[in-house]
Amino acid sequence: VRCQQYPPLRALQASAALRGASDEHKKEPWASSSQQHFDSPPAGHQPEQKPHPSYTGQGGQESEDYESEEQLQHRILTAALEFVPEHGWTAEAIAEGAKTLGLSVAAAGLFHSDGSELILHFVSECNTKLSELLKKEQKLVQLGEAEKKPTDEFLRDAVEARLRMLIPYIEKWPQALSVLLLPRNIPSSLNLLTSMIDDIWHYAGDQSTDFNWYTRRAVLTAIYNTTELVMMQDSSPGFEDTWRFLENRVADAMTMSNTASQVQSTGEAVVQGLMGAAVTVSN
Amino acid sequence: AAGPEMHFGFQTVTEEERREKIYQVFETVAKKYDVMNDSMTLGIHRVWKDILMHKMNPCPGTLLLDVAGGTGDIAFRFINYVRSVRQHQLQRKLKHHQNLSWQEIFESYQKDQFNSLGDSQVVVCDINREMLKVGKQKAQHLGYSEGLSWVLGNAEELPFDDDKFDVYTIAFGIRNVTRIDLALQEAYRVLKPGGRFLCLEFSHVNNPLLSRLYDLYSFQVIPVLGEVIAGDWKSYQYLVESIRQFPPQEELKAMIEDAGFFKVDYENLNFGIVAIHSGFKL
Repeated sequence: VRCQQYPPLRALQASAALRGASDEHKKEPWASSSQQHFDSPPAGHQPEQKPHPSYTGQGGQESEDYESEEQLQHRILTAALEFVPEHGWTAEAIAEGAKTLGLSVAAAGLFHSDGSELILHFVSECNTKLSELLKKEQKLVQLGEAEKKPTDEFLRDAVEARLRMLIPYIEKWPQALSVLLLPRNIPSSLNLLTSMIDDIWHYAGDQSTDFNWYTRRAVLTAIYNTTELVMMQDSSPGFEDTWRFLENRVADAMTMSNTASQVQSTGEAVVQGLMGAAVTVSN
Repeated sequence: AAGPEMHFGFQTVTEEERREKIYQVFETVAKKYDVMNDSMTLGIHRVWKDILMHKMNPCPGTLLLDVAGGTGDIAFRFINYVRSVRQHQLQRKLKHHQNLSWQEIFESYQKDQFNSLGDSQVVVCDINREMLKVGKQKAQHLGYSEGLSWVLGNAEELPFDDDKFDVYTIAFGIRNVTRIDLALQEAYRVLKPGGRFLCLEFSHVNNPLLSRLYDLYSFQVIPVLGEVIAGDWKSYQYLVESIRQFPPQEELKAMIEDAGFFKVDYENLNFGIVAIHSGFKL
């Protein structure tokens, strides 16, 4: 029997913190995206954060800024990312991260020993970065400073940008993927994946409200996942094999959708022909 | 002058009397402490302590304070754990070093060879001289010397500076502390920011059937074992009574929160016979 509770109104001594908007931080940040509508601009995964509290080290009591437990955990995880290439997605990396913030290595005990939270945090951060990138591009297009890309190029660039964020951690990424597939983590990791795909389609200008919405998501998810796996095995300079693979998959998807609509119109034509023949025959 | 009334098992005594009596209990049982643990819990206490260590998951470089650590069970487990983690770390480093020259590999190996614990240390603190004596003898016998120190001290008033330790553990000891709130405050004081408090202790069983069996075993079997193996019925009577007097899981959790710890939670082992409480100084 496990019991957890987050006492809502106490000051954190280490960073001279007092709980601020604690209620909004009660939810796990990476679950917040599930409420997004496909046609409203995705808000990203950052909880409304106050400006970063100034952390003055061990004697932090003089600081005027406050933060909650969850913000502290976020900071520890962000600090831990720098140690992942060396230690992998493990409690050790988190311990090293905590050390850089002036906390004891025992603070790694705040998280699971398999590094799940660290990986989910990283994925969430990458998705947020992608959103911001796409939003910036969209703004440029709206201001007329850039050309609107054709869909296939847009998808290609978005997926490439997102996958490039993995490059510093590529050696240990297979380990991360296997942790994300643990039953315990599947809800969160699936959530993150689907909201990222939603994001990309939203900025690609997808306005569909019919079955197409599902097919588009499924297709892009498949493209993303397969390209990610190819990237794990890719040893070509600058991952050029991966980008070529991506280009081909996106082209396939475009062709397929053209073919599908062609099939549909051919089908309609055939049906009309048959109807005509039937009418003729009955006459 | 009589102090405030407290419980000693099912008896009522003053604070001073309680401290004295408990000291005498452990003075008497010290030599047979480990044997009694094994026979009373049928060896399961070893599993509980292993689980505690796994929960702690210490990395090399951790400074542990084990309070009421008496005969050193937690301390020895800690040393074994960090030693094996350290081994893995070194192995991994060597794998990375495939591209370095032999000279560089030799130098790095030399540096790490004399650091088999990775600078981890454990301080065992106990109020009872006899228990510490038994612990030291055990350490010598089992070959533990590096990274281990023994300090005589009172959990209610620890002889250490503030913000010193990464982890504070108290295994089957907090029940015997007379002023638990003071011990928790001291734990908070000596921990570094980010440090962890871990408490392994007998707790309350909710399941009514199990509870009945447990009571039966506790009151009928354990004191008899005490008499037969250690020649001391009264101490083991005290033991089982003190378990009943100890606050249940939620109450202890509230006390730990009162001392200032965050993210306090507990994990029941064996349906609540034993519970591990954990909290962080944030």
